[in-house]
Amino acid sequence: MTQNRNKLIELFIGNLANSVIHKILETAIDNTEISNKYEKELKNSFEIAKKYRDKINPLYVPFPDKDVEYIRIKLTNKVNSELLKRISRGYENIDLKLVKEFIDQYLKILVVI
Amino acid sequence: MEIISRVSKGSKMDQVYIPKHRSGFSIGSYVVLKPLEKESAVEKPYFYNIGCIEPVKLHIITEIIKIIDKNYQNYENIIFAGSFLERGFNFNDVDLLLVSNTKQDVKYIKNIIEKNIGIKAHIILIDIKSLLEGLATDPLYQMMLSKCISKKRFIFNVKRKVLYKILDLQLLKSKILINNFDILNGVEKYYLTRNIIALYLYILNKKLSKEIVDKEIKKIFEISVKLIKQNMLNKKSFLNKYKKIYKKTFDKIMDSIQSDSK
Repeated sequence: MTQNRNKLIELFIGNLANSVIHKILETAIDNTEISNKYEKELKNSFEIAKKYRDKINPLYVPFPDKDVEYIRIKLTNKVNSELLKRISRGYENIDLKLVKEFIDQYLKILVVI
Repeated sequence: MEIISRVSKGSKMDQVYIPKHRSGFSIGSYVVLKPLEKESAVEKPYFYNIGCIEPVKLHIITEIIKIIDKNYQNYENIIFAGSFLERGFNFNDVDLLLVSNTKQDVKYIKNIIEKNIGIKAHIILIDIKSLLEGLATDPLYQMMLSKCISKKRFIFNVKRKVLYKILDLQLLKSKILINNFDILNGVEKYYLTRNIIALYLYILNKKLSKEIVDKEIKKIFEISVKLIKQNMLNKKSFLNKYKKIYKKTFDKIMDSIQSDSK
């Protein structure tokens, strides 16, 4: 059961990290008019993260501090590493200061904190 | 002689009453009953890369155009695309772009289409500027409109613009498959794979269409699209190839930053 929970947490982190990266990259786009309206078939990372969250206990209350700390660190590392990979290649306008803000926002929505 | 009259309800049969004092229409003669409202002639739609289409689908298209004509004022064009135009009846809904510079609610139209024709419509309301912008920058738009039927003639000879930020965002969506192979169904896997390959071909400045992308999927993954959709995949081998093409596409997009900033 614990092993299963740990696996679910990892999957949850992976998808949520993707979602945070997506959000930050969206803010880096200066042209707001361009958006893909034809993406009905593609599932979104946040939806999947939410599905995993719904399978991890405790369900309707925040996680214990130890878990929160682990998730936060792992999420931050994953997001930063992906964003830094882009910055090093010349990607402009990525605001790393937003990482903490978006992570906290999403963790609150998903009742992790 | 012409007489205009109303159809009235009867107990066993409905009827049309005509005045007793009249010239012509003698008792026992045969007459033709026709609705007074003239059916507006629907212009023949324009076909783009459509080899053949089932007559019933054409009828559906005509009916949808009529519904939109009646319920949406001042639109520029209606473009039908997506799986509805593929051979056979393996589609969930009718995808259509309603090109208009004014914004009106399309939910109402969706409901009428569903009620009258019994088919779900996925209506994308888009203005001309965004459509052209999408066609210039978004491989999915190019792929979607490589095969379509439109009410009016349209020419989309737009020059491709490689906007690395847009392409990167699009590519990121396909990352889902790497982490969630086990929970995604075959159709979802196909769409995520198609997304990468479309981006890959786009960045290589290759021509895009569903057929071209499917052919490339088969070539790269050594498996047919049908089997991907049926989720008949060897996880290890598929994921290996998927990760490789994902990285290759990501690198190509990142390489384009240099030329974009010049």
